[in-house]
Amino acid sequence: MDSHTLGEITGFREELIKKTCSIAMEAHKSPEKPYLVEKSRTSSDVFFSFPGSWSVTHWFTRKPFGAIKIDQSELLSPKGNDKVATSIKSIGRDDLATVNEGFLRRLEMILSSSSLQSEVEKAITEKKQIVFTGHSSAGAIAILATVWFLEQYLKPEKSRLSPLCVTFGSPLVADFIFNHALRRENWSQYFLHFVMRYDIVPRILLAPLSSMEGELQQILYLLNQKEMFPIQGYIAEASKFYETVMRNASALASHAACQLMGNTNPILETVASFIELSPYRPSGTFVFCTGNGKLVVVRNADAILQLLFYSSQLCSENELETVAERSLNNHFDYQSALQESLNMQNVVNLDHLEGLQLSSNGAAAENIATNMALNDLGMSTRARLCLRAGGEHEKQKLINQKRMDMKKADIEAGLAMLEDYKIKSAVCQVGYYDAFKISKDEDDFKANVKRLELTGIWDEIIELLNRYELPEGFESRNDWVELATKYRRIVEPLDIANYYRHAKNEDTGPYMYKGRPRRYKYTQKWREHALRMPVGSSGESCFWAEVEELQLYRTTNPGTFEDIRERILNLERKLEEWIHGKQISNDVFLEGSTFTKWWRSLPLQHQSVSRIQGLMNS
Amino acid sequence: MSETLATFLASTPLLEEAWRLCSIANTTFPGGYLVEQIGSVAYVAFSGKQMDSGSEQRCRNLVPLDAEDGGPFAPLNRHSQAEEPIKVHNGMLNLFLSMYPGLQIQIAALMGKVKSVVITGHSIGGSTASLSALWILCQLQSTSSPISTVLCITFGSPLLGNEALHRSILRQRWGGNFCHVVSKHDIMPRLLFAEMVNHNSKIQALLHFWQWCMASPHVIVTSLSSQLPDDIKDTVFHCVLKDLELLAQAEDPSESLFWPFGSYVFCCQEGAICVENTVSVIQMMYLTLATGSPSSSINDHLKYGDYVAKVSKQFLKARNFHEEGLPDSSYEAGVALALQSSELTDKEPVQDLGFSMQNSNPRKEVPIMAKYCLQMAQNGDKPNLTAANLAIKLSKIVPFRAEIEWYKACCDEADDQMGYYDSFKLKGGSRRETRVNLNRHKLAGFWNSVILMLENNKLPHDFDRRGKWVNASQFYKLLVEPLDIADYYRTGMHRERGHYMEHGRERRYEIFDKWWRDRSVPEKENKRSKFASLTQDSCFWARVEEAWEWLDNVRSESDVTKRRLLWDLLHKIGMFEKYARELIENKEVSKDVVAKNSSFSRWMEEWKELKSRVQQLPPWFPGFVDGEVVP
Repeated sequence: MDSHTLGEITGFREELIKKTCSIAMEAHKSPEKPYLVEKSRTSSDVFFSFPGSWSVTHWFTRKPFGAIKIDQSELLSPKGNDKVATSIKSIGRDDLATVNEGFLRRLEMILSSSSLQSEVEKAITEKKQIVFTGHSSAGAIAILATVWFLEQYLKPEKSRLSPLCVTFGSPLVADFIFNHALRRENWSQYFLHFVMRYDIVPRILLAPLSSMEGELQQILYLLNQKEMFPIQGYIAEASKFYETVMRNASALASHAACQLMGNTNPILETVASFIELSPYRPSGTFVFCTGNGKLVVVRNADAILQLLFYSSQLCSENELETVAERSLNNHFDYQSALQESLNMQNVVNLDHLEGLQLSSNGAAAENIATNMALNDLGMSTRARLCLRAGGEHEKQKLINQKRMDMKKADIEAGLAMLEDYKIKSAVCQVGYYDAFKISKDEDDFKANVKRLELTGIWDEIIELLNRYELPEGFESRNDWVELATKYRRIVEPLDIANYYRHAKNEDTGPYMYKGRPRRYKYTQKWREHALRMPVGSSGESCFWAEVEELQLYRTTNPGTFEDIRERILNLERKLEEWIHGKQISNDVFLEGSTFTKWWRSLPLQHQSVSRIQGLMNS
Repeated sequence: MSETLATFLASTPLLEEAWRLCSIANTTFPGGYLVEQIGSVAYVAFSGKQMDSGSEQRCRNLVPLDAEDGGPFAPLNRHSQAEEPIKVHNGMLNLFLSMYPGLQIQIAALMGKVKSVVITGHSIGGSTASLSALWILCQLQSTSSPISTVLCITFGSPLLGNEALHRSILRQRWGGNFCHVVSKHDIMPRLLFAEMVNHNSKIQALLHFWQWCMASPHVIVTSLSSQLPDDIKDTVFHCVLKDLELLAQAEDPSESLFWPFGSYVFCCQEGAICVENTVSVIQMMYLTLATGSPSSSINDHLKYGDYVAKVSKQFLKARNFHEEGLPDSSYEAGVALALQSSELTDKEPVQDLGFSMQNSNPRKEVPIMAKYCLQMAQNGDKPNLTAANLAIKLSKIVPFRAEIEWYKACCDEADDQMGYYDSFKLKGGSRRETRVNLNRHKLAGFWNSVILMLENNKLPHDFDRRGKWVNASQFYKLLVEPLDIADYYRTGMHRERGHYMEHGRERRYEIFDKWWRDRSVPEKENKRSKFASLTQDSCFWARVEEAWEWLDNVRSESDVTKRRLLWDLLHKIGMFEKYARELIENKEVSKDVVAKNSSFSRWMEEWKELKSRVQQLPPWFPGFVDGEVVP
């Protein structure tokens, strides 16, 4: 491994890191101020830092882990019908991220009661480099503030300059979906988190409140002492606290490792249902400080979770009290450790984890530095095996992606064949939707087989996405978004035709609510996300489903028009848009099409004033 | 991974809590059990000390579990008569049944108060715990209950039942609800592997000894076994070791009368591993015992407190692999670490066994066998990958299914108006039908392989609840099962084996029935406006075939004196007619059923004709009105 400086590996300027560290520590000294802002004299940097909070209720607003879905607050998930959906979720599955409620509410409070927002906006207009920073629980606030900025200013391109976030000994703030979203948006690189080997604070939220209710407030109180605090009197509490946090971290890390290793034994999930496993997961780039000047940089979130647990393990049983004490003291060592590390520049970039050396001794020449740094973090053979599992999982995602990329050609070919089918059917004046719905000829049968083949490929993609087994960026890749849109526009009408041909609406309900396959729901969301369209606005491929439902309504309630007038007007308005945008082709207007027949059955006075009258008659 | 899983189990408070309650149950509740609620979890701990366990326990007497009249384990009934019945140890079953009435009340009282239940027990209490957990699982299946999970944790429990029990637990997918903790040398969990008819008195003495020790927890364990005569220890140890060795070396453990089920956690001073593969469990039982001695095999049954405390503290300390030659592949290294955690590495000083085994040098053999055994336990394939590959296979066979669909559509439209079922049944030999038949076999092969993989735990645990598979299997069943029925009756299998539904239905269809029933979507009542594209009862045609037989029997029965028989037949016919009418009325059938020349339509006609004749003979059946028999 080539040796690089911390700056080169992380992309963060070293004097910026040093500066953030002192500013972050400084903020604790004025707890009455909601935030501090400091402009650099030598560069365009503007630093925003926050004071920490050490009350249990700020950490845990509720049992077991004080976490809420982000839609419980307007901050990261704006509400309203015509709004663009938040980015802090998985797109297709639509799983919203979960964050710590206490820290989120605190940021809400800061934003609503201080001038933070206007200061930030001022910095944007001045084209400054904005840096959020914090130590301890303030780190959590800094992380959330950064995400707020990204969602609020960078995403809608109100600012072109990405913010940076540097934290020291910050607790974890959010779940794996948060990490998934940051990685997908390519935002992960803006976050840098420093963690001392034994610092307990970044690990606290791995344990449920119920397991440490007795000690937590006392420990937080100790951590609030700004000078060297009198921990000696609290060794027993510190040991108990350390043990509780580590026990829960062990359960979480080994549960995650079993999943990474592909466990098949069902007892894993049975037992997991009996205990409370923390939802919090790391995100961004982590820098572990060994305590003797070395730094280990990791980006793989699965590996970071394992490191958080394993690096705090004891080397021998009689170390318990020493380590418990250090787990608190370490929380205040960041400035000195950083100073030492930046002088030494002994930095290891931990990538290609799948090939990590397992044994702690006898490394090959090129691995010596990595091996020694891992030894200094206390990484045992078992720990390394878990790190590897994290690396293998990441690699597997890339392999899965490659496998799907190879199928793009098959999809293209299938779509071309169905495109032909569409053209051929139009010749008979019915359109492929109706031809397929009647399914009389061998061509229809062949189209059906092709449809099913494509279904197989897309369902596989959806299945992989559902299990988060594709790289995070997959759902926002342009080539796939385009291919998926093309697929959806050609094939979904066939699925709708099939649905109504077999009267599945009578079994399960209307296609749109009950029958629409996930492969179409997901891919519609891809497009809406990529183009920042309002939720649900790219529904052109479902046109036929609405036509079928409106027609059914007219058949079951003959003569009625007024009840569905709004729906009809809406459909006509959208159809006009889609036809002009070439998202739906003209074959819907063919003489034999279900749509034409249905539209002609509408009251004449409606037809004569309809906005699509021109289209119908041309 | 077997080791990572054990690390996970040991990091939870479950093992420690369970053991704590077991030891209280042993000392304070002899012959009974105790119930304690911790948070939303209820613990039920069965005492290992049982008043009258000695007399029956020594026998390896197995009795069937599936009583004809249902009983507590009704859902576990075997699939067909051809299979070996599920059997469990007689004494243990009786012990459980003696507690069953009280237990029913206790568990009913917990409903609504707790979300999940841990059932635990030490020694013979462990087998009672297993049976209780099994009973609760059976109950949960048939009733909707607020209790969502049951976990059974046993410590040094003897074996409970036969291979059929093992298999039915796998089929129910309950393997993950049983966790058997076995200490390194404990002979109790291994005892029933051995043939001990000649040593009953010795076993009894041993059991009495253990019972006595459990009641006096403050005696120091190591000095205990010196109170037991050496010849008892030696005989029992060597007898078990000998039979276990034979079993472990056989490729196939089916020789054994008793079979393990669920997961086994093997504990020793160095750590723990968790294994569920039967062959691996038996081998680990043997290999770890082979490193023990007669006294340690007796003492270890009483040392679970130490082992549990030890493994539960293990998470605190970093554990390195200090041996030379750690393999570089993650998989091999995982095995090496598991070996270390089961104290079966080369460096382990094996005590002098003091007798000659078939292998001249067991010291060398043990680590090699152990390595092999753990490799087997450590299934190399990842289940999610397997499932993904299966999805690809599914999409490959979809065209075969589509072709059958196309065939059905053609039959249903054909001029002969026979419909799908009868066309296939009648024209079995022709070219088109041969092709369809071939597709039918391909699909059956695929779905059988899916079930096999699922039952061998090669697929993710929630596989049978994933919408894609539930829907695909249901569609397959509705489309293809009629063809299976047609084939069955065309080839005359019903005359050989009996009717399809009782004797010919493939197990996969029953499994798919269960998947479909268990899916989370609630059934909604919807009126159909046209016939379903596939008949919703996939066995409908099998019912029609049976109805034909009844009709023929009625017609051929000239002896009017056999009223009872005729009345039964007419009753059954009437019931079927009513059922079929309902289906048709609700349009739950596909239109091939009501095609003009379908065997169902023909049956209806002939039945109508017969009915009119029957009705002209009022003295026969006065209560017979319009297709229904009123008794």
